[in-house]
Amino acid sequence: MSWKSIHRWLGLVLGTLALVLGLTGTLLAVNPLQQAWQAPTGSNGLSVAGLVQRVERTIPGIEEMRHLPSGVVVVYSFDNDQARAVRVNPTDGTVLGPYQPSALPRWVKNLHRTLLLGDAGRWGAAATALAMLLLSASGLVLLLRRMGGWRHMTGRVRGSLAQRVHVVTGRIVLAVLLLSSVTALYMSSTTLGMIALDAEPEPEVASIVSGQPDIPGAQIALLQQVTLGELRALNFPDASDPEDAWKLATHQGEIWLDRYTGQALATQPASVARRLYDWALLLHAGEGAWWIWTVLLALTGASIPLFWISGLLIWWRARLDRPRITHNSPLTQADMLIFVASESGSTWGFAQALHDALVRAGHRVHSAPLEQFATGPQARQIFVLAATYGEGQAPAHASGALGRIAALPAGAVPVTVLGFGDRQFPAYCAYAEAVDALLHQRGWPELLPLERIHQQSAQRFARWGEALAAALGEPLALDYRPRLPATTALQLVSRQDYAGREEQPAVILRFIWPRQSASDRLRGRGLARFAAGDLIAIVPPGSPVPRYYSLASGSADGFVEICVRHLAGGVCSTFLLGLQPGEQVQAFIRENPGFALPASRRPVLLIGAGTGVAPLAGFIRRNERRVPMHLWFGARDPARDYYFRPEIERWQAEGRVASVRTAFSRVPDGGGYVQDALRRDAGRVRELVSRGALVRVCGSRPMAHDVAEILNQILSALRLSVAQLKARGRYAEDVF
Amino acid sequence: MNQKPVLTALIAAAVLASPALAQSREVNITTQLKNYGGDGAYLAVYLTDAQGAYAGTLWVAGGKAKYYKHLADWNRLSAGDAKRLAGVTGASVGAGRKLTVTADLADALIDAGYEIRVDAAVEDMRDSPSELRVPLTTDNAGKSQAGKAYIQSLTYQLK
Repeated sequence: MSWKSIHRWLGLVLGTLALVLGLTGTLLAVNPLQQAWQAPTGSNGLSVAGLVQRVERTIPGIEEMRHLPSGVVVVYSFDNDQARAVRVNPTDGTVLGPYQPSALPRWVKNLHRTLLLGDAGRWGAAATALAMLLLSASGLVLLLRRMGGWRHMTGRVRGSLAQRVHVVTGRIVLAVLLLSSVTALYMSSTTLGMIALDAEPEPEVASIVSGQPDIPGAQIALLQQVTLGELRALNFPDASDPEDAWKLATHQGEIWLDRYTGQALATQPASVARRLYDWALLLHAGEGAWWIWTVLLALTGASIPLFWISGLLIWWRARLDRPRITHNSPLTQADMLIFVASESGSTWGFAQALHDALVRAGHRVHSAPLEQFATGPQARQIFVLAATYGEGQAPAHASGALGRIAALPAGAVPVTVLGFGDRQFPAYCAYAEAVDALLHQRGWPELLPLERIHQQSAQRFARWGEALAAALGEPLALDYRPRLPATTALQLVSRQDYAGREEQPAVILRFIWPRQSASDRLRGRGLARFAAGDLIAIVPPGSPVPRYYSLASGSADGFVEICVRHLAGGVCSTFLLGLQPGEQVQAFIRENPGFALPASRRPVLLIGAGTGVAPLAGFIRRNERRVPMHLWFGARDPARDYYFRPEIERWQAEGRVASVRTAFSRVPDGGGYVQDALRRDAGRVRELVSRGALVRVCGSRPMAHDVAEILNQILSALRLSVAQLKARGRYAEDVF
Repeated sequence: MNQKPVLTALIAAAVLASPALAQSREVNITTQLKNYGGDGAYLAVYLTDAQGAYAGTLWVAGGKAKYYKHLADWNRLSAGDAKRLAGVTGASVGAGRKLTVTADLADALIDAGYEIRVDAAVEDMRDSPSELRVPLTTDNAGKSQAGKAYIQSLTYQLK
């Protein structure tokens, strides 16, 4: 069973119980906080003998004095048939007020410990603590894998909102959760009798009656030596029992003292188990700990609902994406084998499309997870579809796949590897590359070289399918239909036309979305919230495959704005270029969290070319806080493709963009390409980056590549590279 | 309070050194707790002889050994009795509830200086060792006695 499935199933099965323990735990932290507030300070050095003298003066009939972990001193007395419990000031022995063990109703603590089910519930709570320990441990392993090791632990978290909440919360409270569960288990095992706190029975003691009067507590040498800081409890001898003795409990153990002589009658050191218990209680309940620790404990308890809800959402999403391969032939009978390594399950959608296409072409196809990689007696072709996770690791389920392939003898069947990944991640398709390299090294032949698919691009996949059909010498129609989210009809309200490149006119389109009722918004219906830099997927009529465009506006602007260049033969761009105000498109939002700008005061370098300026314009438009943003914009000809020109000039006048540098490659003295403009500004770029600037690059892939190259040259003087900035979440690209 | 946990104990031979059980008497000890506003009370009901030495345990309410040190007198006095818990334990007794203990005691124990003693403890509240001490005599039978902290009344009947 993998770490991931342990984590998922424990979370699903015991999450609700953990929720109860977490929330009650948060409530229970109130009491130690209140006590820490009430506790006297600076009195730990006082001697117990002096304290006894002071409290005996103010309180008659004392039976017991306790020094609580929080520092509060409580005196229990019995006077005139009246049992009292009061808090005292250790400095002068005055009564501060009655002692209330807890301000909370008792059921809160009992719900936390026993789920209100008595002893059976204690086992349930202990089992939940064990589950929480395993959840935390497996969570740590998954976190390390996701972030790419300890070194990258503080890096930027990418993924859906639920994933980010889960990971970020985990990063903060994981250590506390681990500690809380370990200490809970220890305390449970003492309560359930599996660990005995006191190995030996208490000694039989009696004061030796000799006719002399009681020695006053203040004169007992041992009580003079012990300070309040060491004291746990002191039992006073019972007036009606001449043989009764003093009993002094400290963190080291217990001592019984003769009431007439003050001499020690017996001692019993605290067992190791008891000392461990004291520590466990301190760490788990925060009683007597620094208040900041108690607050941390309370917050950790309160974080459980966040984990629970985000975990459920992640699980539900993965469930929806779960592979359901139909017409799967057994390995031994199949002539086409497909092996899949998928993290979120989306790669299985591609596998299904390939599987179906091959079945339609008359093949017997076997699809299986990559960890079952093997060849069969009838096999003629093998395909590996592999997604990459984090720092180039295998998806969790396929972690043993490389080892398995390395152990297999080389086969004669050609293997074709198809990698899936996201260029935002530093190790784009690295796992697919590792699989491909290993297969080569082991001597497997190949039909097609490794192909990489960025962000689940259906077009790229279809093109690979054409290459595959040609290589196989048979017709093959890959019909990949991504499971589309619900679309919303957007209405075009205005368009700004640009001549664009030769034969490639461009347009800035502005849409509005239909009004949403409050209930629709609550249920998350209609167009999702978005910000500049997120993507909008447009589903053109007659095509199931959406095309993604970077947004130049956010929800707060009240409109959807995109910049589209016409591509020859492009279904969607042709459709959009022909769209007239009043007409509608079907669309949905896709988050692009790696590219969005975080809220910070750092300077920002915005580098774009062509229509790639759109999301950068969106950032500037929303820059109400006047964060220093600097734009480098490359185009061909100011008369043809200087998109957003009037807006950019206005924003500069308003101070939303601190500086604008343009480069036009097709006009004399235009300044060349955007990377040339950067090279000319090398000094300023270095200065901004050394001040912690964030970098956002948007444009074509060759442009992004050239920009990264020139920035590497510029930044080498700072001993920095684009790769390092990416790893720290300071550099992101949006390329097409 | 409408629920009355009625617990029955047949006291072990350690107490009843008397060989003839025919000469024993049944004693019914009814303990009514106050509404002290806390979790269930741990109670130890036991006998001491005329010299104050431990003579045997009649009942221990509360099952977690971890907390027995809070029944301090009983825990100390009975430390040498390996069978102190044999067949005489039950659940802790809730605030306001009643505990009834039935035991067969040898005739020789009655009116012979023996005492019934009760230690009580409640979590997060004070420990009350020697919560209550009452001489085991025919005269005292049927008379109600209050404890220090938790016991509203304790009455025993001899049959």
